[in-house]
Amino acid sequence: MELSINISEEIFQLCNNLLLCAGLWALFVKCGKAGWWALIPGFRYLKLGECAGREREGGVLILLDIALVALRIVRPMLDPEGNYIILVELAIVAALLMEIGFVIRVYGGLCRVFGRKSGWVAAWFFFESITALIWGFSPKFQPIHPEFWDEDGNEVDAGYVPANLPQMQEGADGVPLNQGLHINIRQRTVRDFMKKRYLLKNIQLAIPEGSLVLLLGGSGAGKTTFINAVTGYEKADAEILLKGKNVYDNYEDLMHRIGMVPQQDLLRMNDTVIHTLEDAALLRLPLGVKRSERNQRIEEVMDVLGLTAGKLGLVSKKSGGQKKRISIGTELITDPDLFILDEPDSGLDGVLARELFTKLRQIADQGKIVIAITHTPDRVVDLFDKVIVLARDSGRCGRLAFYGSPDEARAFFDRQTMEEIVMRVNREQEGGEGKADEYIAAFAEYRAAKKAESESAEKDTATTNQRTEAADET
Amino acid sequence: MKREHYRGTLTQTPVYLGKLLRMFFYQSDWKVLPMAAIIAGLVTFVTGKNMFFTQEGTLTGCFALVCVCIWNGFFNSIQVVCRERAIVKREHRAGMKIRAYIGAHMIYQCILCLLQTAITLGVCHVAEVRLPASGLITPWGIVDLFISLFLITYASDIMSLAVSCIVNNTTTAMTVMPFLLIIQLVFSGGFFELGGAAKKLTVLTVSRWGLQSLGTIGNYNSLPMVTLWNTIFKFKDMEIEGQKPVYMVIRYIEQNGLVDAVIQESGAYNQNPMFEYTVGNLLTCWLMLVLFIIVFGVLSCIALRFVDRDSR
Repeated sequence: MELSINISEEIFQLCNNLLLCAGLWALFVKCGKAGWWALIPGFRYLKLGECAGREREGGVLILLDIALVALRIVRPMLDPEGNYIILVELAIVAALLMEIGFVIRVYGGLCRVFGRKSGWVAAWFFFESITALIWGFSPKFQPIHPEFWDEDGNEVDAGYVPANLPQMQEGADGVPLNQGLHINIRQRTVRDFMKKRYLLKNIQLAIPEGSLVLLLGGSGAGKTTFINAVTGYEKADAEILLKGKNVYDNYEDLMHRIGMVPQQDLLRMNDTVIHTLEDAALLRLPLGVKRSERNQRIEEVMDVLGLTAGKLGLVSKKSGGQKKRISIGTELITDPDLFILDEPDSGLDGVLARELFTKLRQIADQGKIVIAITHTPDRVVDLFDKVIVLARDSGRCGRLAFYGSPDEARAFFDRQTMEEIVMRVNREQEGGEGKADEYIAAFAEYRAAKKAESESAEKDTATTNQRTEAADET
Repeated sequence: MKREHYRGTLTQTPVYLGKLLRMFFYQSDWKVLPMAAIIAGLVTFVTGKNMFFTQEGTLTGCFALVCVCIWNGFFNSIQVVCRERAIVKREHRAGMKIRAYIGAHMIYQCILCLLQTAITLGVCHVAEVRLPASGLITPWGIVDLFISLFLITYASDIMSLAVSCIVNNTTTAMTVMPFLLIIQLVFSGGFFELGGAAKKLTVLTVSRWGLQSLGTIGNYNSLPMVTLWNTIFKFKDMEIEGQKPVYMVIRYIEQNGLVDAVIQESGAYNQNPMFEYTVGNLLTCWLMLVLFIIVFGVLSCIALRFVDRDSR
């Protein structure tokens, strides 16, 4: 009886494997892979991972398979009463759990590539061979390139993603390539469990040194993502040049030249103001800086930010405005070339906010680039040199809707206040006018026209010069 | 352009250590010291009299001391990293070395654990707990005991530091902590009867090696066992055909001054190889505890490297 049960199990396993091989063979062919990979246990998951856009997970699955085989070989050799066997058993359980996790990721990737709902992951997991057969042989299941799907599963125009990525241009926005800040973000994506999401796309601009720049945009427009990409905290498919040096390639060197003040006051509340600044100076200033120079720098920063009076007090005892200034001070201590602030005026009243932005203006006037996000821009807009407007397009991706001076922005959007400009590009659900796509396209044209205009002017100048030279020669 | 050099792991460590030492006063971290004294006082009040005097008292007392150490260790560091995770993320992006940060925490926690161990032993002394006169590794029993208690506290401390580095917030940390505590107590291997795979799991707990080291220092195997005598004593009034044979035996033993010999002899039948009074056994325990400290220290560094992946 036992023998017959064992034989039935063996036959069942064999049939199951054959069905799986057949299904995967057809599936691999659909994905442009050689079908015979389906016959090789272990490696079939590597290929399945490739089909699913999950190459890394497929590779890890092979390693886990090898590890499991090795552990199962070692296990019977160990003393069943000894201490090592428990470690091996724990390792086997851990490897199995990891394998389950990675297999689910691969199946999730398959669903995304085939444009199917995530519920299919369960079908793959519990009825692998049957599901493989259906997906392999049914003409209804065809792979679709993952980048052509947006987060709602709608097909997106393939031309939406630029095929040839634009290069950084010499003298863009009138700024030489070895000066100021050049931003060329092609795309910034994240991979959710099921699909790739675009957070930012096609943002090109150049900011001259000594500028105070206002970064505007509604909720979800990608402002924080943008500044994280610019600072190199979250790398994008981009080139960011600070004074001619690529931030991503030289991050270790340049991170001390970039100051980033986050939205929240990330300070140790139970430390004194002076110690907070001293520690920031010790950690961030180069080793060659002498103690006297360091102390002088701390004094300067406290003077600029008006922190000298209460320097011995605990941070927790300070007001919201003072905490914000301490937060700015910890970044300002290194005298950064690029200084970015995420809503520095949140929680501050009008007078304090004005005072804070006046200080930022002073910092910018020292030849620094200061970029600030604020949700109440109109009370301080006169202090800014440039405005960047980011908008969330219909594909839910952050795009550049405007870059220029505040006056140009007013003219471009035909609105008088910055808040009205934001409302122009905000979605209708947020009380906006929902014209983001319109302005993104309009700005692209506006820029092209401006570029053509400047090129034409340059050409005219060159022609005039040539004529003058020819006349002189005559 | 000349490349500038910034502080590395070794030079950043004192900066973070200084910050932590300031926190000792500003953030009232010193409160862990009186807390250690109170807990040690409570435990010695309940279990102290028979510790290192009888096998049962030693086992209970040592287990209670291990619990005190684990409790102290866990509470010292379970929240220290996760409560300032956002700050760590920001500082890491600005050039903070994770090894320096964890190194500073490990040094600071080491100082705290040394102080707590000294306090615990001080309380034991005040409560007149009989401590082992001679040591196995050092000539003084109290020094061996100090090292063991310190290693147990510190290993638990670094284990919870690793947890604090893995979890994202204090709520999760405080949810995980009781489970860790229960695992440590249940799988100590000496107090609760375990068998099979569960027994093997004890090698992975700080409590098992802690209990084993304390039992070894206390020379558990040479101590008398009173359970047998106390059980027999309960049956002294049992009558069989008008006679009280148990009472007669007890009276005979007492009259001939054999009580100590009996309980000593019964102890000889209750020896546990786990508490073998040898230098090798104690050194193994200490090495295992040191290994835990190293492993959890490394784990803390690895776990905290993922801080940049935290969502906003």
